[in-house]
Amino acid sequence: MLDGTERRSSSALSKNLVELVRRHHALAAPSALDVLKEAVELRGEISDEDRREAARRSGLPEAAVYGVSTFYDDLLQPRGARHVRVCTGTACFAATGDAHVEALREGLGLQLGERAADGSISLADTVCLGFCHSSPAVRDGDVIDAGPDVVARVLADACASAEEPAWRSTLSEPVLTRPGDWSGLRRVLSDGVAPEALLEEVTAAEIRGRGGAGFPAGVKWGFARAAAGDEKFIVANGDEGDPGSYIDKYLMERSPELLLEGMALAGYAVGARHGFVLVRSEYPRSKPALEMAAARAHADGLLGDDVLGSGFAFDVTIVEGAGSYVVGEETALLACLEGLRGTVSARPPFPAQEGLYGRPTVVNNVETLCNVPFVAVRGAGAYRALSPDAQTAGSKLVCFNERFVRPGVYEVPFGVSMRWLCEDVAGGLRDGRALKAVQIGGPLGGILPAARLDAAFDFDALAAEGCMLGHGGILAFDDHTNMRDVARHLLRFGAHESCGKCFPCRIGLRRAHELFASDAPIERAPLEQLLETLELGSLCAHGGGMPAPIRSLLRWWPDELGLA
Amino acid sequence: MSAPPLTVTVTVDGAPVEVPAGATVLDAARAAGSWVPTLCFDERQAPFGACRACLVGVEGAAAPLPACTTPCRDGMVIDTEDPAGRRVAHAVVELVLSELPQPPAAHTELAQVAQRLGVGAPRWPGETHAPAPADTRHPYLAFQHELCISCGRCVRACDEVQGTFALTATGRGFDANIAAGLDEGFRDSACVACGACADSCPTDAITEVSLLALTSAADATNGGPA
Amino acid sequence: MSDERFASTVTTTCGYCGVGCRLEAHVRDDRVASISPALDGPANEGHTCLKGRFAHQFSRRRDRLATPLIRDARGGELRRASWEEALERIASELGRIRAAHGPDAIAGLASSRATNEDCYAMQRLMRAAIGTNNIDNCSRVCHSPTSYALRRSLGLSGATGSFADFDHADATILIGANPTEGHPVVGARIKQATLRGMKLVTIDPRRIELADYGVLHLAPRPGTNAAIMLGIAHVLERDGFVNRAFIDERTDGWDAFAELLPAYAPEAVARIAAVPAADLERAAHVYGEAADACISWGLGVTEHKYGSEVAQLICDVALMTGKIGRPGSALLPLRGQNNVQGSSDMGALPDTYTAYRSVTDEAVARSFEDAWGVPLSRREGWTIPQMFDAAVAGELRAMYIFGEDVAQTDPNTAHVVHAMESLDFLVVQEIFENETTKYADVILPASSFLEKGGTFTNAERRVQLVAPAIDPPGEARTDFEIIALVSRALGHELPWATPADAMDEIAVLTPDWAGISHARLGRRGLQWPVAPDGTDAPILYEREFSRPGGRAHFAALPYKAPGDAADEQFPLILVTGRRLQHYNAGTMTRRTGNVELMDADVLEIHPDDAARLWISNGDRISVRSRVGRIELPAQVTDHIEPGHVFTTFHFPETRTNLLIGASADVNTSCPEYKVVAVDVRPLGEEPARTPALASGT
Repeated sequence: MLDGTERRSSSALSKNLVELVRRHHALAAPSALDVLKEAVELRGEISDEDRREAARRSGLPEAAVYGVSTFYDDLLQPRGARHVRVCTGTACFAATGDAHVEALREGLGLQLGERAADGSISLADTVCLGFCHSSPAVRDGDVIDAGPDVVARVLADACASAEEPAWRSTLSEPVLTRPGDWSGLRRVLSDGVAPEALLEEVTAAEIRGRGGAGFPAGVKWGFARAAAGDEKFIVANGDEGDPGSYIDKYLMERSPELLLEGMALAGYAVGARHGFVLVRSEYPRSKPALEMAAARAHADGLLGDDVLGSGFAFDVTIVEGAGSYVVGEETALLACLEGLRGTVSARPPFPAQEGLYGRPTVVNNVETLCNVPFVAVRGAGAYRALSPDAQTAGSKLVCFNERFVRPGVYEVPFGVSMRWLCEDVAGGLRDGRALKAVQIGGPLGGILPAARLDAAFDFDALAAEGCMLGHGGILAFDDHTNMRDVARHLLRFGAHESCGKCFPCRIGLRRAHELFASDAPIERAPLEQLLETLELGSLCAHGGGMPAPIRSLLRWWPDELGLA
Repeated sequence: MSAPPLTVTVTVDGAPVEVPAGATVLDAARAAGSWVPTLCFDERQAPFGACRACLVGVEGAAAPLPACTTPCRDGMVIDTEDPAGRRVAHAVVELVLSELPQPPAAHTELAQVAQRLGVGAPRWPGETHAPAPADTRHPYLAFQHELCISCGRCVRACDEVQGTFALTATGRGFDANIAAGLDEGFRDSACVACGACADSCPTDAITEVSLLALTSAADATNGGPA
Repeated sequence: MSDERFASTVTTTCGYCGVGCRLEAHVRDDRVASISPALDGPANEGHTCLKGRFAHQFSRRRDRLATPLIRDARGGELRRASWEEALERIASELGRIRAAHGPDAIAGLASSRATNEDCYAMQRLMRAAIGTNNIDNCSRVCHSPTSYALRRSLGLSGATGSFADFDHADATILIGANPTEGHPVVGARIKQATLRGMKLVTIDPRRIELADYGVLHLAPRPGTNAAIMLGIAHVLERDGFVNRAFIDERTDGWDAFAELLPAYAPEAVARIAAVPAADLERAAHVYGEAADACISWGLGVTEHKYGSEVAQLICDVALMTGKIGRPGSALLPLRGQNNVQGSSDMGALPDTYTAYRSVTDEAVARSFEDAWGVPLSRREGWTIPQMFDAAVAGELRAMYIFGEDVAQTDPNTAHVVHAMESLDFLVVQEIFENETTKYADVILPASSFLEKGGTFTNAERRVQLVAPAIDPPGEARTDFEIIALVSRALGHELPWATPADAMDEIAVLTPDWAGISHARLGRRGLQWPVAPDGTDAPILYEREFSRPGGRAHFAALPYKAPGDAADEQFPLILVTGRRLQHYNAGTMTRRTGNVELMDADVLEIHPDDAARLWISNGDRISVRSRVGRIELPAQVTDHIEPGHVFTTFHFPETRTNLLIGASADVNTSCPEYKVVAVDVRPLGEEPARTPALASGT
């Protein structure tokens, strides 16, 4: 007997819309977002007829489709025959102070979000292209060019794919900066390791989520395994939206097999038969790389209905996002996969109980999953030994922005000092610039002044500095940077990316940006109230995290902020 | 293994209260007769967790928790007047008032919550929703988009109560709002005019056409908008 | 929450449909300014539909009847009159006719929209003041087959559970009903249940909205419901879903029923009903496999020649699986009018007193004679169709009708009009002039649900209070007052100061209503039967049925063809029904903003049929049946099966019911509105536009 008290028990994103999507997905219907993206790609913009078509084909009600079409950046910016997207992320800002944006606007004679009257060309802004090592970056069609003269090349219609530096490991034996070889999955299946045993091993390895929250992956997998229901999913969060961060991009494009293997192992341990990778649309090469790796894996019997003849079934679908930073939050990510607006849902229920299509789902960051194959082959002890002096097990990928002498992705152990990372690994700043500050872990991370570089690169040590490890991006501001500009830049990004659901973030970030965007002196009391409201009241880490860098700025550079 | 208990007992503002298993902290507060400010909550719908005005103190928690989406656990000790929680509630309501082009009419839920919390005119001088003429194309239901605070109650009423799915949230961030169908107004959308959205709206962003005139009349009687 | 816009708020019960939403009527300047749903309404739980919520402006329209009107000569003009004169005219005419032709030459029609107390008063007037059992109400033309079936099979004439049972069911069969349009709050509730996993099977010639939320939709030929139910029973029996213990302990008549079943294998049913055999099997399995399941139905079951038999077969299916008498397993006929359940409960019927006790039952008749102080007839009276026949035959001379527009809503309009014209004297008590008042000799201005006190009984058997928010306009009075005045003028004093007093009398004389009083009803009402201590009955038949021996009865009824069938001359089958925006005759809703949302009846026709007939969307077309012809616009849609057409009867100018003939339910005379063979063609020689070519031609 169904219990009528279920009627009002859940606070997840519209249970009904998710159920409608689930029913249509089971009939192989496309998501509404997929159909809308097709329309934008074919015709450069979305009409009401496109929306009705998306509703018909996806089974989503027309109003919901309309709401989706007004949420994602990729759907909102009209496209000409030539669509130019300029990066306004923090690394590009750190490089030019956004001068490159101005130059491009003037050079093309278009505002951001505008299409020429004859439809030949359009200009849009984007955050972030993952070419932070060579900022500023511009995407011309699907070619991503970057470097100090990139604007000139765009204006001359002479863009060429920018080079990406090779990645390196400082460990004696690379764990993550290596191509995947499926040895973990092979070993687990051929040795007959039981799913519960694999789960125990992953839990013992203490793999912490690499996306920023640091939640133990094994514990999350355990919740999903224990949840009721036959249908479960593994979702890889490839929506690396943090400006300045391109770690997952490298993993997806250089070691897609490693990620797929990690997902298959997760599926095995949890009891899921299908996985999804949500790849952000700002990384046009990631989806093709993953799909090719998946096709090869199919051919080799490593994915499909009967992996290596073991009876274990697992397959992966790669899905592209549509331009929203908050979709990196796990509940918003699931909404995006379902083709709905990428808004955040209150938790509980957690995705491990009620996730994709209402089914138990593990959502893990790409890098987190890439850690699993090593554990499957070498065990928890070897994994923990990778960072012998640190609180946290395993190794971490970090990436540096263009201000450094040697930008790029590096694999490092936890517990090393920030100074060693910035000076020895990345070579300090180039062109004789002095390092003024680094923002670690993304736009919601605290900002560390040069004087505090002896802090250790680990979760608690950085938290003690009002910073966070986050996703591992290390973004330097040089001594020519004005910190009020940084505050304004970060808050503009924060306000633009707010999903709009919770009131503190929706309104509060706008007000915070207004405080810094005007030239007027800033009253401290309302600012403090705003910061507290955001920290305590926000529904997710977007609004909740935005105060952290502002607090750093208030602490270390109060005179530059223009306080009253 | 024995079946889980059907009820749990928590303490609200010093008084014990027994609630069904699965009840939220807000359910317990309401059962105990304690007022917790809410704007996005409607008892006919699942809790949404958007307004963040319902933060209450829970013993052992590092920070105040949102009452509407926090499940009760047996033995929880709840303080509905937690100072930090009330500070946030006050600040949230002040922010909400700041985005509207004029103060909310006295009969609206928003006005009544603001009054009860003691929130006066907002101190934020920034941008507000652009005023626009009311959309009265439908015989009964009117949109006043500039009054929308994106609480989501109308969309959820149409979804979880009526099941017609005629409404949606639109846009993102500060520009978020609501629309019927393909932003075509109630009449041309799937709307069946049940009025559940108007019943739930706390600001009159959706209201009855015939009541629009009453609101301005009432304001005039009370000496004009505050 | 205070609201300074309104002077007062009155909680009442909606006067539109049988859901019985509790509403808060907000009053300002003696008008209802706004209505909102009551959060604690047991049937509606804080929800309602566009009719209850918004369609109240009719109450203050200028064309409200506000004074009595008299027509001095048949076919002449109406003139205003005082109450005194009107009452005097009624008393003298009815008295004259009674003296000359006997009390049975007079008939009354009680309004199923009016309160229990109004209807009780009306039947007392007819029986005590006039001396006849010629009293009926409009359940005759909608759910009388349900009442008949439930009483014969189970014992009591009412749903066996409540709307809450939809929330607790694992599966539901919904047959011959379109609740998202006809009972919107219940439709919404069913839809939400399906989204939570309740398995819905919809059975209807049209693809109703709920079909998109269910697991299976069957579209049988109109008139073949009995074959469908027998086919489902066949599969349930064949595949082991029979609850033998339940059958043995709590029913009788199983063997005779079981003997019928072999003839209704899915393949045989497929031939009769044009429903694929595999679908029929699946429907039976969905119902049989569910731990708890409901069956719900509407006029698509009852308004048929064998509607009462189909309703009995529905009972059979529930009984054979034992899915009755507990939460989540209920039989839920969706009563249409706000008080059609109550008007029949009150004995506004030619053959029963309150609670369906026969007028021929000596003990019951005596109890009423004692209470009313007059001798009462033991002879059953005429049903509505019989009244019209009798009028045409000259045997019925006068009628007193309140709150029903028979000339618009009853079948075979030509016959109804003929009946009206044949009467010597017709009194109509109404809120607006309508098709029926055209034939009235005296018109009495009455009250709407917003202007009266009393109770309504909804489709859950829930008796709920009605409270007046405003006064009737001008010199109009409440129906309760008017009936009392008329009864006094006829010489029989009704001894009640208020409707609450009338309810007290009902409680004394009706065991199933013994515990009901206005004071006890409060905000949640009570579901009858109500024991003297006030205990009510959300679920019936938990331990025994209300038939002799406490056992339910299996009805062994084979399929028989409907009263009409398509043929060469009339190749399409017409089904008539309702749309969301209007309520039945549209008397109230056509006088509200709802008219902006739907301003005409249209004929729904499938694209294949439309193409074959050179009809394009929006064309005006003619529809002709064996008894009548109408014209209206066409709406081409694939929500209907080829071979069927559908329209409504909300607009009097359409005169839809001209098309409906005399075919009616064999047991209850409920008209077969749902199976009418018609011919459809565009008006004029040329089509309005070149239509799309049908595929394959």
